[in-house]
Amino acid sequence: MEHIVGIDLGTTNSLIAYVDEDGPRIIADAKTGHKIVPSIVSFLSDGKIVVGREAGELARTQPLSTIRSVKRFMGLGMEHVSPDDQQRYRFANDQGMVRFAIHDRQYTSPEVSAVILRALREQAEAALKEEVHKVVITVPAYFNDSQRQATKDAGKLAGLDVIRLLNEPTAASLAYGLNTKQEGLIAVYDFGGGTFDVSILRLHTGIFEVLSTSGDMRLGGDDIDQCLAARFLLSDLSEELRRDPQVLSIAHSVAERAKSALSEQDETVLDFSVAEKGIRVSRSLTRQELEEAVDEIVTRTLGPCRQALKDAGLEPHEIEEVVVVGGSTRMPLVRQRVGEFFGRSPLTDLDPDEVVALGAAVQADTLSGRRRDMLLLDVVPLSLGIETMGGVLSHLIERNTTIPASVKEMFTTAVDDQTAVDVHVLQGERELVQDCRSLARFTIPIEPKPAGVPRVEVTFMIDANGILSVSALDLRTGLERSVEVKPSYGLTDDEVEQLLEESIDFAEEDIEQRLLIEARTEADTVLNATHKALHKNASFLRQGEEEQIAQAVQKLREARDGKDYDLIRDLTEELSEATTPFAQRIMDSSIQEVLGEKRLSEL
Amino acid sequence: MSTTAVVQCWRCQDEHAAQAFCPACHVIQVLPADVDYFSVFGLARNPVLDEVNLTQMYYDLSRQLHPDLHQTGTAEEQEASLKNTALLNRAYWILRDPVQRGQYWLELNGEQLGKANNRVPAQLAVLVFEVQEKLAELREVRTTQAAATLADLKSELEQIRADLDEQMQSFQQKLTTNFAKWEHPDRPQDLLSELKRVLSDMAYLRTLGRDVEKEYSVSWNT
Repeated sequence: MEHIVGIDLGTTNSLIAYVDEDGPRIIADAKTGHKIVPSIVSFLSDGKIVVGREAGELARTQPLSTIRSVKRFMGLGMEHVSPDDQQRYRFANDQGMVRFAIHDRQYTSPEVSAVILRALREQAEAALKEEVHKVVITVPAYFNDSQRQATKDAGKLAGLDVIRLLNEPTAASLAYGLNTKQEGLIAVYDFGGGTFDVSILRLHTGIFEVLSTSGDMRLGGDDIDQCLAARFLLSDLSEELRRDPQVLSIAHSVAERAKSALSEQDETVLDFSVAEKGIRVSRSLTRQELEEAVDEIVTRTLGPCRQALKDAGLEPHEIEEVVVVGGSTRMPLVRQRVGEFFGRSPLTDLDPDEVVALGAAVQADTLSGRRRDMLLLDVVPLSLGIETMGGVLSHLIERNTTIPASVKEMFTTAVDDQTAVDVHVLQGERELVQDCRSLARFTIPIEPKPAGVPRVEVTFMIDANGILSVSALDLRTGLERSVEVKPSYGLTDDEVEQLLEESIDFAEEDIEQRLLIEARTEADTVLNATHKALHKNASFLRQGEEEQIAQAVQKLREARDGKDYDLIRDLTEELSEATTPFAQRIMDSSIQEVLGEKRLSEL
Repeated sequence: MSTTAVVQCWRCQDEHAAQAFCPACHVIQVLPADVDYFSVFGLARNPVLDEVNLTQMYYDLSRQLHPDLHQTGTAEEQEASLKNTALLNRAYWILRDPVQRGQYWLELNGEQLGKANNRVPAQLAVLVFEVQEKLAELREVRTTQAAATLADLKSELEQIRADLDEQMQSFQQKLTTNFAKWEHPDRPQDLLSELKRVLSDMAYLRTLGRDVEKEYSVSWNT
């Protein structure tokens, strides 16, 4: 049976896993043995694209064409991009969907993520020695509809069939539950590179029921790094240097390394130098200094914890186990704060970097029909509603509703002969539309009738991926009305198709181009050698041979300037064959000459 | 899960009472959209129910219907699984909560709470007034950023929260008692209006509680 693999498409790191006879396991790179693919993509000026560690090294010299933490930009509009990020990258526009401007092209976040997914796919295909198509990809539980849709688009652009988007803390709970067989109330505290999630679950006879989830889409290890960089590395620099993308990129890496080091030891050295810019900072940093600097960030994670508990109707002490996930939970300060909040030490048996990917693989196993003893009941993280009169949001589906969820809403017209009703869908907890995140707009076509007569029933369905779909039924005619949803910050289906075609065309064109170049090079080598040999060794030619070779040369020369690489290769071969006896004779004579020389020297 | 409506299996054309799986060919069926939430669980239309038992039934039905377990099925099976699970989730969401269950049950019996829950319940008037006043004060203080006053208000608001919780508990008990009386042969004549009043008051209290939580979280960033 075809494997369905699980992918943790992380802000900082990405992993791919599958389930074999022994359970879930991470698929390592067959050549290097590395399990983790850093989520970094670098676009070179010659069109080459580099992913992972190699791209990480390029970040130093090519900060503007190397995208880190692309997940922070998934499904967002330019107005959501932080000032820090505005400094670090170049963008193609100042409103609408985020588009990175790199060299002379634009790249959307799903396109950049697709590069990472392709690398993971290749890693898995090389190790499993089979093709990989179907995948489960994890997303932060607190991801909204646009961010989920963007992740699905990324999968599509990577040529993958994304059969499920799975919430990261829920994935972690699956891996944890499988491991411990524990039942009862658990909290999953997932503090990753760019996002923070907390989910409260009840585990009962193989059912993993999410009671509530909360989080902060813009809070992660990246913020800790930025905070450290700003405080200890950039504070003495000029305004200009503090805005320099290269300086920022390097400072970020130095801060990240120091943070990791201070999870293991009490003191480390910050070595920050950018020779080109005349920067040379070297100073020590203690764990205590780090903890004082980032205390406020860590404290911010406790708000969502409180909210999730409240939504689940629970008190901290009722939680029987706390599972910590995500690279940021390696920090002793984070573990200490979590421990204090829930009144118990967090469980750290599972590798916080791997647990999400492992859980995704377990869910993939269930979806492939091989496993029936575990079932996830997940929830929608944010309330969904529509805009009503006066810019007020009317909630249709409350947050923490178990998915799939659907709700029907009746629409009619306000004026005579109105031919359409416009609907604006938003997600968020606030009352006013302006405070919530716009998801999409759509238009319901309506037969012209007196006001209030048409009755159109619109069904909003949130599927098991947490993604919204809309359908409309005209109750008077009984006809389904097609509804085209325009995402506010995403790619339309047409755009995804177009990008997909472009990337396939591009890939094909790439290969064609390469084959042509190779064929021409080969032809040139043979033509050159023939030309030289004819010039130098014409005496070795037999009767009629010269004409035959000249013809072959002529044919190849003509083909070489065309684009048919197959023809070029065939004619190159033909010329090679035509000159073989001639070349043989030259060779033989050279050998005799060499031997002759020896003989001479021997004399 | 069954209702009295007769439907036809989409695959084998067997005619049977609407239920989640065809009794003849065992394939998953789309439940009629107008099936009532009690019958989704095979329960009689009765607002008194064992909530622990309801959860267990919810888990059991999820294990049969959930899309995760029909992923390898045909498009029709996946569609049926998605729609049924959405219906099951909705039914569970409504029935597990006594207030929503009570309101839904009233609607099934052709009774509406109507606009009644917009008026201030008489016996809550003092509490409501006090809460509204505190919230207004809080909003005021928040704009002036007076830290000391804000700290005082925090403990007062926490007291209000506790009061509201306590009030809700007492309503909850009243509701359960009244529900139980419903099945009784010699139930009081005004039981229905009493039930409506309690449900309406609870709905009001709940909205008030949400306002408090909202202001609380805005003020203290939780």
